[in-house]
Amino acid sequence: MVYDDGQPPRRVVITGLGTVTSIGLGAPAFLAGLRTGRSGVKPITTFDTTGFAHANGCEVADFDPREWIHRIDTTELGRATQFSVAAAGMAVADAGLTPQELGERRVLVSVGTTDAESGDLDGLARTQLDEGPERWAPGVVRRAQAGRLSSAVVRELGLVDVEALTIPTACAAGNYAIGSGFDAIRSGEVEAALCGGADAVCRKTFAGFYRLGTIAPEVCQPFDKDRKGILTGEGAGVLLLESLESARARGARIYAEVLGYGLNCDAHHPVAPDQDSLARCMEVAHRNAGVKAEDVDFISAHGTGTRANDVTEAGAIRQVFDTPPPTISIKSMIGHSMGAASALAAAACALAITEDFIPPTVNHRETDPECALDCVPNEARAARLDVVQNNALAFAGNNAVLILGRVREAA
Amino acid sequence: MSPLVISAWSATSPFGVGADPFRAGLEAGRSAVEPVDRETHPGPFEQAALVPEFTAARYVGKKGTRTMDRVTALAVTTVGGLVKDLTDELAAHPEQTGLVLGTGSGSVQSIMDFTRDSLVGERPYHVDPARFPNTVMNRAAGQGAIWHRIKGPNTTVAGGTLTGLLALSYAVRLLRGGHCGRVLCGAAEEYSTQRAWLEWHGRAEEERDTPLGEGSAVFLVESAEAAEAAGRTALAAIGAVRFRACAEPEGAATARRTLADCVRGALDAAGVGPENVRAVLPLAGGGPLATQEAAAVRDALGEARPRWTRLRDLVGDTSAAATSLQLAAALAESGDRGLAPGEAALITGVDRDGMVGCAVLTGAGARR
Repeated sequence: MVYDDGQPPRRVVITGLGTVTSIGLGAPAFLAGLRTGRSGVKPITTFDTTGFAHANGCEVADFDPREWIHRIDTTELGRATQFSVAAAGMAVADAGLTPQELGERRVLVSVGTTDAESGDLDGLARTQLDEGPERWAPGVVRRAQAGRLSSAVVRELGLVDVEALTIPTACAAGNYAIGSGFDAIRSGEVEAALCGGADAVCRKTFAGFYRLGTIAPEVCQPFDKDRKGILTGEGAGVLLLESLESARARGARIYAEVLGYGLNCDAHHPVAPDQDSLARCMEVAHRNAGVKAEDVDFISAHGTGTRANDVTEAGAIRQVFDTPPPTISIKSMIGHSMGAASALAAAACALAITEDFIPPTVNHRETDPECALDCVPNEARAARLDVVQNNALAFAGNNAVLILGRVREAA
Repeated sequence: MSPLVISAWSATSPFGVGADPFRAGLEAGRSAVEPVDRETHPGPFEQAALVPEFTAARYVGKKGTRTMDRVTALAVTTVGGLVKDLTDELAAHPEQTGLVLGTGSGSVQSIMDFTRDSLVGERPYHVDPARFPNTVMNRAAGQGAIWHRIKGPNTTVAGGTLTGLLALSYAVRLLRGGHCGRVLCGAAEEYSTQRAWLEWHGRAEEERDTPLGEGSAVFLVESAEAAEAAGRTALAAIGAVRFRACAEPEGAATARRTLADCVRGALDAAGVGPENVRAVLPLAGGGPLATQEAAAVRDALGEARPRWTRLRDLVGDTSAAATSLQLAAALAESGDRGLAPGEAALITGVDRDGMVGCAVLTGAGARR
């Protein structure tokens, strides 16, 4: 393939990571959590949980937005946007760039989400019941829009030559956002991309999943025969992407290369996943990335811990892989952080490649024979990884599979 | 790769369902703003531009639409207006068609109704599980795919009033990246009481009274080569889609300089001189930002004297659907054969959050 400017596709690498999670703020803390199998689960405090028989979640504790956000008044930002902006700032610093240096480049900011600021909409719904919609606070109304998740990153960093794109493709949105960043750098359209996902725990989504019977009472146990469902979580993961050439020219540390990605849509059921369609999405991703199934050293699964997801996903993996590689779910540690989930999982994959280990699936007692995967139970495993696969599924049958790899010298 | 073109479009607007009523309303310069029925639509506005007599049951069908919300029905209907010409392609290779749909924040009505049920019910989980997917922002795109069997990439895009331009930019990137052969791309916005209140509180004082509109526009984007192979007329080539950020988003004065730079960059990238721009379709949002927007376009175009179409005067503030409907208006104005060679149309937008954007459509060249 040759692009319009006559150049072959650029190779795309990850040089900065920003992570806001229930097991630690910043890439070093997140890495330590992944290595030791830390769990972020605790009782939910974001909203009043009275009336729910159980309400554990994976909230981000000890997050003071003013520690991370300096230009914007943090009250102008909803909680998910605060996470997004904080993670973007971390990613820029982690890449060894200043906002000014980034501001001299053409940039794409793409942030995925499931609920954006639905937490603020919950609050407005409460006010509407108690006092009427006339009493809403304009500042809360203005910040309660999905577009803010990316435009606030632009404002905080003072970027100018930039596109601010929010991708609300639900629980696969992080991979979508990273994919769009990959395409934009590969074609030479932009010089850097800040891409990932962000979400905050909210009543609306907890109540919905609870009603569907998919909220686990205590912990999240992907692929375990006694798994009881998801735990809603929150946070943000943002990756700084640039071309390999640009990273080398400035002597940047390179975590991993983005090899490619695949998207497809089941176009079948609004909430139930489709095994054949997911298997096809993995094949599309392999083709786009120029890898074969047998090259993949481990899979970071969507792995929500529900009956429907885990059996369908394991089935799709076995359909594509003669011998499935180790397949883990970091949701066992950080819960389901919705739009942030696949972005944080991609950050985990990048760290795994750099640090030579596979993160564990914690809370694991006995693997469900229907899943029959090596989920690296409870303890991280040392491994040299060349190619890793990051799965994401969403309501509406939206599948997104991202492929990362160790940077090799030869092009 | 051959240039990317728009080879078909469809619109659901306050002028009615389909491209024809949209074109007719635009030509007549008729305002679709009317007094709202205060019983059905309590809220801060007395006037609005609604899609006339639009319901899911009427336009999507009675079966399977009991819980379908309005924005989803608008999107499914508009996409339906395009897929009728793609039946064979969708049947043979459903995964080769993508669907990219812009939204504000999904259906805020669906989201907030669901929370209300959780707050007022006997138990906080006494909510309707069938309506839970409506509260997730990719619902309209997902239902569009299910309804019309579209199995390629399915993406939801958001970015305030620039949403339609962002959807187009995303679609271009998807096609250039080789992820599918054609993309149906656009945006949808519904009128609802919750949206009306949110807009009312979110706006600056001087914009308060602009009536809300609703609607959806969707485009078929593919390579010129693919359009020709399928026997479709390339109505316009996508010259460029560009964005910039104001250094000081609060000061409207910077919007003028920022958008002027953005337009110059887009014209350059499209290889179009200011004199080629025959039509300008601004967001024209009202208040100081609209004045800055108009000034920026004049700064960038210099002596050129294009035709200006302010769609918002006719169909109200359509929020996330606005820039998609402006794109549709540019195509509607250019007739069945599309933009003539050497002719360009400029679509612009300025968002309250400090982002600006524009698209340059050009004559696709070869005429058949």
